[in-house]
Amino acid sequence: MEFVVDAWDPGYGSSTSDAGLSDSSRPVDASCEVPEAEWKVVNPDSGVAEPEAVTFVDGVRRIDARLWLKQSNDNDDNSRTQNEPNQFHELGICASVAAGSVRCTSTEAKIETVLVERGLHTAAKSADSIKLFPELGDIGTYELRQLDRHDEADSSPNELGQDEVIYLSVHNHMSELEHKLAKQLTEPGLVIFDGPLGRRDAPNGAGYIKTQHVQYLSPRLQPVVASLSPGQRTPIFQIGGAWSNWSWYMKLPSNGSQADHPMAGVVRIELPGLGDASCAAERADIITRVLPRFASESYKDSRAPQNLYPIGGLERELRHRLGDGRLIDRALRRSAA
Amino acid sequence: MGRAAVAIGCFAAKSTELGLHSSRFSGMAASASDLPVNDSLRADQSYVGQVIGVDDATPLEFWVAVAENRTLQLDDVVALDRRLPDGQVVKIFGVVSQVRARHEGASFQSDVFLISEGVLPGQISEAALIQPTRFEPEVLLPPLPGTPVRLAEDIEREIALSFDTVERRLPAGMSRSREPVFLDLDFIDGTKGAHINISGISGVATKTSYATFLLYSMFHSGALGADAANTKALIFNVKGEDLLFLDHENSSLDDDARAGYQSLGLTAGPFRDVGILAPPRKGDPSATPATGSRSVGVAPFFWTIADFCQQQLMPFLFADAEDERQQYTIVVQSVTAQLAQLPTTDEGAVKLGDSLVRTFGQLVDAIEEKLVPADPDEAADQRWTGRAVGTGTINAFIRRLFKARPHMEHLIRADIADARKHALDLDSHQVTVVDIHSLHDRAKRFVVGVVLRQAFKAKEDSGVAKPLQFVVLDELNKYAPRDSSSPIKEILLDVAERGRSLGIVLIGAQQTASEVERRVVANSAIRVVGRLDPAEARRDEYGFLPAVARQRATILKPGSMYMAQPRLPVPLLVEFPFPSWATRPAEAKRSTAGKAKVAGNGAANGGHDGELADDPFAGLAP
Repeated sequence: MEFVVDAWDPGYGSSTSDAGLSDSSRPVDASCEVPEAEWKVVNPDSGVAEPEAVTFVDGVRRIDARLWLKQSNDNDDNSRTQNEPNQFHELGICASVAAGSVRCTSTEAKIETVLVERGLHTAAKSADSIKLFPELGDIGTYELRQLDRHDEADSSPNELGQDEVIYLSVHNHMSELEHKLAKQLTEPGLVIFDGPLGRRDAPNGAGYIKTQHVQYLSPRLQPVVASLSPGQRTPIFQIGGAWSNWSWYMKLPSNGSQADHPMAGVVRIELPGLGDASCAAERADIITRVLPRFASESYKDSRAPQNLYPIGGLERELRHRLGDGRLIDRALRRSAA
Repeated sequence: MGRAAVAIGCFAAKSTELGLHSSRFSGMAASASDLPVNDSLRADQSYVGQVIGVDDATPLEFWVAVAENRTLQLDDVVALDRRLPDGQVVKIFGVVSQVRARHEGASFQSDVFLISEGVLPGQISEAALIQPTRFEPEVLLPPLPGTPVRLAEDIEREIALSFDTVERRLPAGMSRSREPVFLDLDFIDGTKGAHINISGISGVATKTSYATFLLYSMFHSGALGADAANTKALIFNVKGEDLLFLDHENSSLDDDARAGYQSLGLTAGPFRDVGILAPPRKGDPSATPATGSRSVGVAPFFWTIADFCQQQLMPFLFADAEDERQQYTIVVQSVTAQLAQLPTTDEGAVKLGDSLVRTFGQLVDAIEEKLVPADPDEAADQRWTGRAVGTGTINAFIRRLFKARPHMEHLIRADIADARKHALDLDSHQVTVVDIHSLHDRAKRFVVGVVLRQAFKAKEDSGVAKPLQFVVLDELNKYAPRDSSSPIKEILLDVAERGRSLGIVLIGAQQTASEVERRVVANSAIRVVGRLDPAEARRDEYGFLPAVARQRATILKPGSMYMAQPRLPVPLLVEFPFPSWATRPAEAKRSTAGKAKVAGNGAANGGHDGELADDPFAGLAP
């Protein structure tokens, strides 16, 4: 029996989705750099000028507490029976999110900006922001992020449940903060966002996707991805839809493992769908040449090599900046009392 | 709120060559402005950092994180405030005893490479360990994490080191930032304590240099007031000839050292009134002093046979550690008692029976005759031998007496005209140097013991403590060893325990305090440590040094000492300026050479001004 052990810590799953990749719902055009028939691995042009600095942007989130907010049921009593009390509890989530950037030059990786926000995500009507340790001054407040009331009765099976709506709201909060932070970046240089680019269209930005959930390439082109060697990339392809992105796969060097499965160390990069294909291909070359330097080693990072060193370091710092969870728990419990 | 926000834009970035127009967003740049408190702190020049919250802060020890662009080094003096609930402010002062720097955000040693290559974000964090020296008022509370810490300067430094409460300050050296460090004279002159003890490896610990520096400061700083003129010092020169040129200006003294003296309120120069005594040359009938490189201004010292007998000096000949446990000490006592009764002559000789005893050799022979009769059938005189003493014991005594003879002959004699005038005079000069470095161990012990007894007795007889008599003695381990007793040790113990009230102050030194009688060291109010042997530094005798200081004591450079004084709970590192007096012939300035007056009767010794031989110990001086 031949087998290889996945490089990632099993707790994180695999860099390619366990259940196989789902097909992309967005249209993909794979023949923008080279015709699909001529697809083969690309060795990036070694002549390209590398940027002075690379800035990595990432965010983290943490659920700090689940709250049950007491609500009174005065107006909406037609659906309730007489026996039911006129009060009920609504779910709320206290979550802290942080976003930060780390700017890497040839001599220094410096965490430049860190933003931390806290939110109280709930659909409860009578909810209010919660201040932590109000006696100590302004050390943190869970700002109310009101969600739409979700009625279980008329939810269709495809719709999200109340819990999922709330968790999505937390995720959106983090994304918002990342956007906010991205707008504060004024230094020139390449900016790598952790995760899909989405609608972010900063011309010097790129999205870095380390876990592959979606299959963008047709089965005919997939062997090209599997045959990548470290430092090589696929030709670029365009993902269309409501907004468009340039994208390609590249392989990071995975140190130390003799036998790897074909997708080990493979990541997908996204660029905003600006400019023409040749311009995007040039940037693809630059990024493909720049990133291997930041690839982590398996004994230092449980998601090596895809979890890049600067991002790993930034996430550690961001989690730290979220504040001590137990302390916050204590503060919330005290506020509740 | 934890750490300060990191300011943006510390390095200028050139425009990228991405082939795209660089995008500049109009968003505001992040800055540290969310921490206005820290901004105002940073503007304060004396601000150096804040108390750390992740290590325990205690009233005995706490860590301070050093702020960006500030530094704290070992021995820096700092101050901070703690406000009590009732509004009262407690000022906490301390000294930096350890400093450390580390990468935060790194978990592996090899992360340092990633950080310096700009791959992994990491922050350098520096911190300093503070040992509090004083709480004002004395409310012993820990400083609170986050409390800003400032460098203690001027008056705050004085308060921190308790100098403000010292009335009579003795300049004892400089801190590494060249600020003066003082000793409280009350703890030297007997008012509250007395004696100074100095430990350290020979050669690099500069024990003797520091002892003489303290004496110089004592005599020239004005700390002693009117007493300074009459205060006396007795220095034993036990190694080399370093101390024979105290009265010569040091020609290799540079302006830097001169400035050092000045900053302490002293004027660089030689000792003013120095008498130098050296043993006579062996076999020289005219008793010329046996000094190598210095021949001018040196007087010989020796004892007449009459002194030896009358003052009962015999026991000092038998001061070896192993001797005390022997039987023959009974014989020593009997013989000593008999010798004291002998009639003496004006020339310092004694009459024993029919013969006149003028030399030590004759004395030894005469004693042997008394103890071992020529006729084997005749019994020895029991008045001389002591009662019921076996021949073996008598022979043991005689053997040792004969062994001592070659080493003592030139020191105990009555074969010179006016021999009595060579009696040791400790009063005619402010500083008297007794050179014993060339003597045999047995003779060294004899001289130290006899001279100390003389000085002690003189103080005892005078009945007043002031003016003080200082005694500088190196190699205390030889004279007051921990594990045995001897007549010399008894005297040193007397000095250590009663000297405080009698006005006799011992500045003792030794390589290893662990080998010196505990009571001698324990009675010293001031403890000083130069470079220590690493194994020695771990011993309990240096308990007054905190762990870091002990470690550091093993790498102290010449001229740096740790000084512990009762007023301060923390020993201070002091540096003392290069001696402004010559410590070897090469340093002695010819123009001022030979000014020293000769102790005693000023025996002529035919030397010429500035006739200085090559220094065989040049390499030893610091």
